Amino acid sequence: MSPVLLVARRDYFAYIGAWGFWLSLLTAPLIIAVLLFGPILLARAEPPRVITIVAERSTDADAVKTAFAASALRDARGDIRAYLAATAPSAEAPAIAAFDAAPDRPAAIAAARAVVAERAPNALTAFPAPSPRYQIIDPPAPEIQALRPYLDGTQLLTDGRSLYGALYLRRDAQGAPIIEYWSTALNHDEPTNLAHRALRLEMQREALTSQGLAASEAERLQGFDPQIVQFDPRSSGAEGVTLRERAPFFAALALAFILWSIVFSVANMLLNGVIEEKSNKILDTLLTSVSPMQMLIGKLLGVAAVSATLFLFWGALGGTLLTIAAERASENIFGQIAEAFLDPRLLVAFFIGFIAGYLMYGAIFLALGSLCESVQEAQTLLGPVALVLATPMMLITPALDNPNAPIIETASWIPIFTPFLMLIRAPSGLSWTEIAGQGALMMLSVVVILFLASRIFKAGVVDQVSLSSWLGRKAKG
Amino acid sequence: MNAALEAEGLVKRYGARTAVQDLSFSVPKGSIYGVLGPNGAGKSSTLRMLVGVLRPTAGRISVLGGPANRETMKSVGYLPEERGLYRGMSARSAIAYLARLKGTPASQAFKRADKLLTDHGLGKVKRKKIKTLSKGMAQKVQVLGAIAHEPDLIIFDEPFSGLDPVNQRVLEETIRAQAAAGRTILFSTHVMEHAERLCDRILLIAQGKSAFEGTVREALALAPSIAVVETDGNYDMAPVLGPLGFQWTEELGEHGNRRWRVRLENGHGSRQLLQACVEAGAPLSLFEPARASLHEAFVALVGDKAAITAAE
Repeated sequence: MSPVLLVARRDYFAYIGAWGFWLSLLTAPLIIAVLLFGPILLARAEPPRVITIVAERSTDADAVKTAFAASALRDARGDIRAYLAATAPSAEAPAIAAFDAAPDRPAAIAAARAVVAERAPNALTAFPAPSPRYQIIDPPAPEIQALRPYLDGTQLLTDGRSLYGALYLRRDAQGAPIIEYWSTALNHDEPTNLAHRALRLEMQREALTSQGLAASEAERLQGFDPQIVQFDPRSSGAEGVTLRERAPFFAALALAFILWSIVFSVANMLLNGVIEEKSNKILDTLLTSVSPMQMLIGKLLGVAAVSATLFLFWGALGGTLLTIAAERASENIFGQIAEAFLDPRLLVAFFIGFIAGYLMYGAIFLALGSLCESVQEAQTLLGPVALVLATPMMLITPALDNPNAPIIETASWIPIFTPFLMLIRAPSGLSWTEIAGQGALMMLSVVVILFLASRIFKAGVVDQVSLSSWLGRKAKG
Repeated sequence: MNAALEAEGLVKRYGARTAVQDLSFSVPKGSIYGVLGPNGAGKSSTLRMLVGVLRPTAGRISVLGGPANRETMKSVGYLPEERGLYRGMSARSAIAYLARLKGTPASQAFKRADKLLTDHGLGKVKRKKIKTLSKGMAQKVQVLGAIAHEPDLIIFDEPFSGLDPVNQRVLEETIRAQAAAGRTILFSTHVMEHAERLCDRILLIAQGKSAFEGTVREALALAPSIAVVETDGNYDMAPVLGPLGFQWTEELGEHGNRRWRVRLENGHGSRQLLQACVEAGAPLSLFEPARASLHEAFVALVGDKAAITAAE
């Protein structure tokens, strides 16, 4: 076996022999699932927040209560619709129609549930039973000052719950509403936003009726709500843009983040590995058998094999799930997103981006590691380097807004940005020629960076040049 | 070809600092060769150039009849001064890995690793990870890693440092056994006693320059004669020796007496010394000529200061 492969093999087995590797292999999918679904589950599990309204005018209190009820109804409708879109698309439209026809929230949920029970009974198992985010109660004390002990937690309500917030609705001398919101949750402004919208509509209604308009007509005017339909000029279909057209952008964004995380995780492994070898004083022993360039390539191959193992596991798991989703559920959200992930253009961009990105950043990190005597020294060096490496992520948002903007197109030809921007631009019709051209440019950069990195690596491991000694010499002048 | 290793006009500069200056020497095949000098004399730089890790600023090196490249190095075993092993590897894997990097097939490398570990009393720990071994054991493992591919030339940089006296003796035996098997050994040390016991030829380096190259006997011949004087009680010989221009070192003699190793040079013979002792009424318990040590030869060759001062 050649020395390069021996170095790669040793590094590979050293990494996969560590318990941390198996931990990340097995827990990463779990962590991603928790990150994706955790907030939703937490939000669902949270009991309603108790809010009370103290108002000078009962009409104001009624308007705000109605707004809260409408909001809870909208949330429930959204939850049920999203659930059915993912699990039983055929039952979505009739269930929502039944929901809309019902007089109140509990009845609406029950009506939708009944439709699902009839048309798609399998989807009933996890049918959402959303509880409203807020429960409006009568004030436990008549004045806002008397509510303070309830609001700061020193006094509980009669049923043992605590009061989350209080809306005090009053009118100024000219009759304009003023909303005072009392709560210890200082950063949560949804209750005030709901109250604000409700009272603004109330003011408009008052103004319209004072001009002689019938109350029902005023209400009709307030209900005007234009529809928005978006079209993709590249598509020949007469329908507007749906999730199916948008899904590739979500998939590209997700893949860009995955690529960035993996590239820098494995590059960090290389950095720490070479620092460990320097501190273990093993490099001199190896250097009579392998050249610095061979060692550099061996290490890159070893960690690339570690990444390949991770990809094989996650890829097999994710690929199987995505394929099943794409085949069996092509009409729902999961199926459409799965299809987007399996787009060949996106997969090729991801593959090229990973190879080139890993080699470029891996070689840079190896070279930096060879100049450091300790992890602490490396961390001081990594600060400014990380800022440079974070730049591609800063370009992702503008790239999503306008993938063909001149600055994004130009940046996508700069090799250190290419792996990520190529992915983001892929769904907007990036040509195969452009993919091949950017891939070739990245490979050329890989060769140049490998050459330069091997020179630095040699200086670090053979000539014992270190960042601290170099800086020390510079400081002495 | 009688030389396993030849160096001619070796120079190594690090920026403005010259670590090795115009060094030439030849290591005969099958010999044990010592490179001696104080810390910082340029020994490690010399050895790193010999094994091809460092490129000389100037000069020529011939190793086993060829240039000091990685192909030649497959027949060379090297133990660097700064040593270490992968802490997560087992002892046998570490030795086999180093042998495999030198081209030994895997099965043979593991067989040799097992045999070497057993022969050197480490058979029971062969599957233990390096991080669980004592420092001495780990160092032994690294020595074995340097010879597991059965090289023709073995280069050890300060192999005795960090070892206790018992393990130093074991290592001396290993070196002798390798030489007896027909291998050429070159090692560096700043402890002259090891070289004196082991080496056929030595190179003395001070401040990057060669101070002597030849056999140990030739080096000792350059050292001044020595007389050992021992006095009873706490008698101080310094007031007797100083005014007469003698140079000496003091050590503790047997039974707690004070012992003086006095250099007999510059016209000061043993007769003059004995006469001075008698005239001073020194309570002598011992007066005998002694063989100079290699250290004394080194001091005589390069001077006290150069012998102890690291090259700047």
